[in-house]
Amino acid sequence: MVTHRAAIVGAGHTRFGVLDEGPRSLIRSAVEAAFASVDRSADPRDVREAFLATLGFGGHQIGNSAAALAEEAGLVGVPVTRVENACASGGFALRSAVGALAAGASPLVLVVGMEKMTDVSNARRRYWLGVSGDTEWERAAGLTFAGVYGLIASRYFAEHGDASEALVEVATKNHENGALNPNAHFQKVVSREQVRAAPRVARPLGLYDCCPVSDGAAALLLAPSELARRYTDTPVYVDATGAGTDYLAVQERRDLTRFRATHRAAHEAFRSAGWNRSDVSFHEVHDCFTIAELLALEDLGFAAPGEAPALTLSGATRRTGRLPVNPDGGLKAKGHPIGATGVSQAYEVFLQLRRAAGARQVPHAEHALTHNVGGAGATAAVSLFSVG
Amino acid sequence: MIIVRRVARVAAYRPQGLAQGAPVASFDEDTFTLAATAAERASTGEREASGAIDVHLLGEYPAVADWGFAALLGRPTEVVRHSGEASELPKTLRAIEEGEGRPALLVAAELPGPTPKRSARAAPRGAGAVAFRFEATEEPRPFAFPKTTVGRSAVATALTVGEGARELPASVVLVGDWEPIGEAGLAARENAPREPFEADPTVVSEGAYIPRPRYLENLPSRWRFLAEACQACRGTTFPARGVCRRCGRKDALTTVALPFDGGRVVAVTTVGKGGQPTEFDAQVAAQGPYDVTLVELARGMRVTLQVTDAPAGTLKVGDRVNTLLRRLYPMEGEWRYGRKAVPTTFRPPLELPV
Repeated sequence: MVTHRAAIVGAGHTRFGVLDEGPRSLIRSAVEAAFASVDRSADPRDVREAFLATLGFGGHQIGNSAAALAEEAGLVGVPVTRVENACASGGFALRSAVGALAAGASPLVLVVGMEKMTDVSNARRRYWLGVSGDTEWERAAGLTFAGVYGLIASRYFAEHGDASEALVEVATKNHENGALNPNAHFQKVVSREQVRAAPRVARPLGLYDCCPVSDGAAALLLAPSELARRYTDTPVYVDATGAGTDYLAVQERRDLTRFRATHRAAHEAFRSAGWNRSDVSFHEVHDCFTIAELLALEDLGFAAPGEAPALTLSGATRRTGRLPVNPDGGLKAKGHPIGATGVSQAYEVFLQLRRAAGARQVPHAEHALTHNVGGAGATAAVSLFSVG
Repeated sequence: MIIVRRVARVAAYRPQGLAQGAPVASFDEDTFTLAATAAERASTGEREASGAIDVHLLGEYPAVADWGFAALLGRPTEVVRHSGEASELPKTLRAIEEGEGRPALLVAAELPGPTPKRSARAAPRGAGAVAFRFEATEEPRPFAFPKTTVGRSAVATALTVGEGARELPASVVLVGDWEPIGEAGLAARENAPREPFEADPTVVSEGAYIPRPRYLENLPSRWRFLAEACQACRGTTFPARGVCRRCGRKDALTTVALPFDGGRVVAVTTVGKGGQPTEFDAQVAAQGPYDVTLVELARGMRVTLQVTDAPAGTLKVGDRVNTLLRRLYPMEGEWRYGRKAVPTTFRPPLELPV
């Protein structure tokens, strides 16, 4: 019997993509949508604590952005903390919210993830895309994240054989799912030929192996589980969260093809929830590059080292397969507004477990996992969710 | 003929283009990197040598040469700049002889192209560098410099003498002169862009901001591959950081030098156009995509290096590479320097038996 600590009672999401809205407007839209989603209505005055997940991309209001969240959410006065763990900011903000609830913040805690990425010059964008890796060695050698994941993919191929067809499958599968998600950045399918023929960004990774640069925001309202039914009859429980870190630079790691941060995060989450891997009905994993989805399946314990390509090519990870992965399109098709991603994953879980995901609904969705990675595996957060 | 009595080692370095009869350097070379390559190869095996050394420079060098040799050699250095005029070579040799056993390096480097400016009188002879290391020895090894200069510059003469050192008595070792690379290598190299490249270092880049003090602090690891061996737990830590990564102790560390040559490629990628950080934009515009590799220098000791002097896509996992000091990118009005990898198949280092 799991003791639930926290429950999601409302969740909101903006469109992801190249948007006209600015950072404040994105925050406002996601928060409004989260409040609107609460079945029995929630009063903003019930929010006792809030967390903002954002990298501060572009440098716009990089300092003290928590206060901007308070303003836009109508929460001036309420303590707000910015959580910054690069692309894993959202997953860690959710973990912080669970901690705040356990510490007595009640009845509501708000989590917002937001990134505005497309309103800066190309040069500035490429600068900001590289700030979360190791600067002194990786960046100085000419790498951004595509390059670091290119290194990882080359190592994976050297250890386990050429997995390029599995990478193609990850891309086409996630685009197929994204095509059914009205919030996704890319709502179109791509053919295997298109993926194969795309220009290489960082060998062996090509353009369709990379997630896009997107704007967007997502928000969650959490309550202690014993108060959840004050807001809704179908709360989504956060059964456990786990998190971990690893060396920032991949040159410090003994093993390039396993993310120890993910291992640790998954171990902590599964142990504390008392779940088996087979309990999970679907996964939201961090596929910033297609190779990352293969690594995630192995690091989370759903495939043995080197077995993720075969599992993927078998069709098991498709929406209708036995182990659906990224039914919302993943970072690959849905988009990856850095700070928003981890929160967006939980939003998808909220819809799926409440059978409200429409055309992309996963059958028999009862237990879900989210997996959110910062940089090239230097930080990772894993969360497990269920309905009642 | 000037007889110098205590030459310990000679190293000559020629950019690859020479084999094509087109002696041009790569975009990431300047007279400092040419000189540094020759100087460190003339000191190979002596990376831990302590004690001051005089560095006599013939020719023209960027400002980094004033302090860079101390960081490169890990020894206190007195840098003495000499012009490339022909008369400077005998004068400098006499000064070294009169130094009575003071360790010294005589370094000459030349780089044709727009910068740095060559002396009007210097004969354009192509890119290259030579370093003569003089150390006090119990048995002096006489070394003959022709008194009449070759061409009209001291640099050209030094280069000619250094490259000819192979035919001189076996007491002289020639290191770092690169052998022809074979037909496949030549064909691949023909496709590699070779134009000397100059970026404006005053342009403010949207680059990885490594403050200058941090850059300088890391040079022992970045330029010399110095690691720290812990005598307490036998762990080795690279880059060096003053604390053992394995056991956390700070009081049992000794410095060890990881090898410059023969590292193994653990992973490699080609960064395509648009995939590079902005500080490499000018380089990509001039040279196209480049490779970046994770290299294992010694067991468990890995470093991320850009690949140079080889067409993108050349390296594979498992290949061996050597490393050379090169320019990385301009930042705050100066070039930042670091080591880059070159495939050993392109450039086997040659060391003649003593």
